[in-house]
Amino acid sequence: MPRPNNARKVRKLIAEREKSRGLLIAFEGPDGSGKTTQRKLLKRWLESQDHEVVSTRWASSALVKPMLKVRKKIRTLSVEEYSLLHAVDFRHRVETSILPALWSGKTVLADRYLFTALARDAARGLDLDWLLHTYSPLLWPDLVIYFSMTAEDSRRRIASTHAPKFYEAGQDVTGIEDPLASYGRFIDRVVTEYNNLSVVFQFVTVDAGEAVYRQHTRVRELVEKAERRPWLTFSEEAVQEWLIKSHTLGA
Amino acid sequence: MADQVTYPGRLIAVDSSRGKDTDTAADAIVERMREAGVECAISRWDASGLFGELAATARGDRNISMRTLALVYASDLAFRLRWEIRPVLEAGGVIVAAPYIETAIAFGAGCGLSEQWTRQLLRLAPPADLRVGIDERKVNQPWKRRADRGFPEYCAMMLEASARRKLSKGARHEMMRLLGKARGRKIYRASPEGVEVIATAIIDSRLGESRRSASRPRSGRK
Repeated sequence: MPRPNNARKVRKLIAEREKSRGLLIAFEGPDGSGKTTQRKLLKRWLESQDHEVVSTRWASSALVKPMLKVRKKIRTLSVEEYSLLHAVDFRHRVETSILPALWSGKTVLADRYLFTALARDAARGLDLDWLLHTYSPLLWPDLVIYFSMTAEDSRRRIASTHAPKFYEAGQDVTGIEDPLASYGRFIDRVVTEYNNLSVVFQFVTVDAGEAVYRQHTRVRELVEKAERRPWLTFSEEAVQEWLIKSHTLGA
Repeated sequence: MADQVTYPGRLIAVDSSRGKDTDTAADAIVERMREAGVECAISRWDASGLFGELAATARGDRNISMRTLALVYASDLAFRLRWEIRPVLEAGGVIVAAPYIETAIAFGAGCGLSEQWTRQLLRLAPPADLRVGIDERKVNQPWKRRADRGFPEYCAMMLEASARRKLSKGARHEMMRLLGKARGRKIYRASPEGVEVIATAIIDSRLGESRRSASRPRSGRK
């Protein structure tokens, strides 16, 4: 950890950057809730307003994605390994793409954020307290938009597009052979966890059953009104650790 | 919240600041146990292959933090627990985990991670029945940057490439200081005489009797 004089310097830097840093917006919701569509629409709109925008997707770190992909394919991951590898992916993206983009004033749109891990892994039976600890120090989004839908609607939408994969369907924990039947059981638990998280972490809810354009209008309004969650209050440790590591201080 | 798991087997944890010393000590313990007629297995670092794959993927881009490496360690340990450690413990055998949790906790702390954070992260692992320490050699030398030697050497390679500077001597000293902390439990030494004592302690500990419970990060929900 930084020496006291260094820590003061870091705090000062973070405070100075607060006004010019970018906004972090997280899109959360069950599969099939239209997060990606809305994220793309918002990105296009923000860019038309001359904002620089960076998108980041779940399990997409160049470092971890290949390792995750091969293990998912051969279905060898235990619940703990699945959770921890996603935590590795998340931490690496926070340090190498999300924080650098925010620091340089770009808006970051996260297509799923750590709440996805909390909902899915808690639905797999892991302790929420341990999960939060694993993902700490937390970098809080300025806005979490939750695309709300029932488990049944999610199942129906997924069924109409593709057969869910082994882990997406939660077959590792349900033990049900039919992917769609397993998904129906698993997503029920995930939606319950999401609903609990939405209260605790104050998500802003958008009804995923509404027309795409109406949802987009609502998302725009939310983003226009969004206020920064001050880094020094919410995310100081995460930002400080990254700053020291990335030698922004010339340490 | 946590599962209460009891195992009839015995778990020996070997931790040191150098991967080679950890391996040598583990081999000596296993050899002595086998001489005494006790079947004994070893669980080594990177059994999952994650670190090897990571080094290959990260070639040219080693922008990796200590926290990320600690998470990879936890993932590798989860693999070792599932395929190597728990099966032996459940079958009533003896397993030497080399390294186990103290190596990651102490190395992380030497590099600035909170000791408590890493300890909490690794609470998926059952506590060892017997902790083994090593009389450290070359204490004033930095770690060799090697991908295949052990966790500290691997991290030194990745972190030094990322930061473009050497890890300080202080990091190794801090690691050794933490590894030496007994935390109310005896730390056996891996010297030739120490290995005798370890073997006797394990044989005398009445194999087949359930050991104390382990805490795993699982909720009680089904």
